[in-house]
Amino acid sequence: MLFLVAALGAGIGWILSAPRPISAAVLPAHQGDAANGERLYNISGCFSCHKAAEGAPQADLPSGGRPLKTPIGLLYPPNLTPDDATGLGRWSEIEFVNAVQRGLSPWGTHYIPALPYTSYAHMRVEDVLDIKAYLATLAPVSSVVPAADIPLSFFVRRGLGLWKWIGLDTSPFVADSKRNESWNRGAYLVNAPGHCGECHTPRTIFMTSDQSRFMQGGPHPEGEGKVPSLRDLIGRGRYKDAADLASALEFGEIMGYDKLSSGGMGAVQTNMSKLPKEDIAAIAEYLAELK
Amino acid sequence: MLLKNFGFRFGVGAVAAVVAATIAFAGPIEDRQAAMKANGKAMGALVAILKGEAPYDAAVVKTSTDSMLANFDVFMKSFPEGSDTGAVETWAKPEIWSDMDGFKKAGDNAATAIKALAATTDEAGFKAAFPAVGGACKDCHDKFRKPKG
Repeated sequence: MLFLVAALGAGIGWILSAPRPISAAVLPAHQGDAANGERLYNISGCFSCHKAAEGAPQADLPSGGRPLKTPIGLLYPPNLTPDDATGLGRWSEIEFVNAVQRGLSPWGTHYIPALPYTSYAHMRVEDVLDIKAYLATLAPVSSVVPAADIPLSFFVRRGLGLWKWIGLDTSPFVADSKRNESWNRGAYLVNAPGHCGECHTPRTIFMTSDQSRFMQGGPHPEGEGKVPSLRDLIGRGRYKDAADLASALEFGEIMGYDKLSSGGMGAVQTNMSKLPKEDIAAIAEYLAELK
Repeated sequence: MLLKNFGFRFGVGAVAAVVAATIAFAGPIEDRQAAMKANGKAMGALVAILKGEAPYDAAVVKTSTDSMLANFDVFMKSFPEGSDTGAVETWAKPEIWSDMDGFKKAGDNAATAIKALAATTDEAGFKAAFPAVGGACKDCHDKFRKPKG
């Protein structure tokens, strides 16, 4: 009897933890725009984790392999260049979309949410396809990355399917009609591709994003130090106004803005500095109004 | 008498030891934090010029860069082995000690950039030389400073 209950439980767990991919049938017909893709690639911060391993010949390409410390073990983010054998060369559009927006590999396993698909899930699918179009313009690099060093990897990965029931909100970004276009652009960039909340919003005991403490800061995911709150940055005197914040995001410490280069924020700011000025201004406008 | 004398000597010795320990072991974290705070103040004066909030003033550039170089000297000497933790909260990452050569190189880069900034004689030169200083700050903070919250 006990055996039956256990077997039934395991069976239900197996079913509930199964991948729930987006169907290829719902993908819009879309001509990939590599220029927009590059913009989205920069705000999404792809390069920060997928950057080339130490000593790789083309250091500016996202060929992956540099170890990434996470609370559950060491990950080696994979090669995003269009190499057929070791990169994304043979990936289809739907495979790419499911990886980025649902955390699913083409072979049906769950990705560890160090890949912030919990935020990317809110992106416009066209923007995701544009990133793929941009990546396809890069030089292919042959780069085999080591397997993740995670204890009980099989159970952790399969168990993520259960976690996704509570941790993965797949609702698309909805613009606030009471706000202007640039504020909405900022809200989209911050919350969908920018995935700022992955570190700046603390987590619940279930490791899901705690929306009741939205952008209030919390412990650093790599375990050292704290991530600051993004609420009321102007009122608390961190920045004079939205323009000052925009200039901080654009220039960082090169213009003497301290506090933008620890805990990985330096890499984030470097990515942001590559955005068009109007995107940086939109991000600053949105953030400056977070009370 | 002998015993009493011993007790007195022991007491004096213990006090001296505690004072010495306070200077030796509670020192470096406070020293380097004070140096960085003074650096921040000097940077503030330079950034004000950079952003056009204050007029270019060669004397301010000189005082500020002199102060930064002096602070920096103290700062780089305030990371003895074992000062990764202490009575005061510190944001120094363990990498400072595990990669002391990298840390020193980052410090040298910053000092070189500050000296180049100090050598400028007009506003255009100042503005052209500043980003290297900021870039050196960023490079080192990125690798060796914990996020502060």
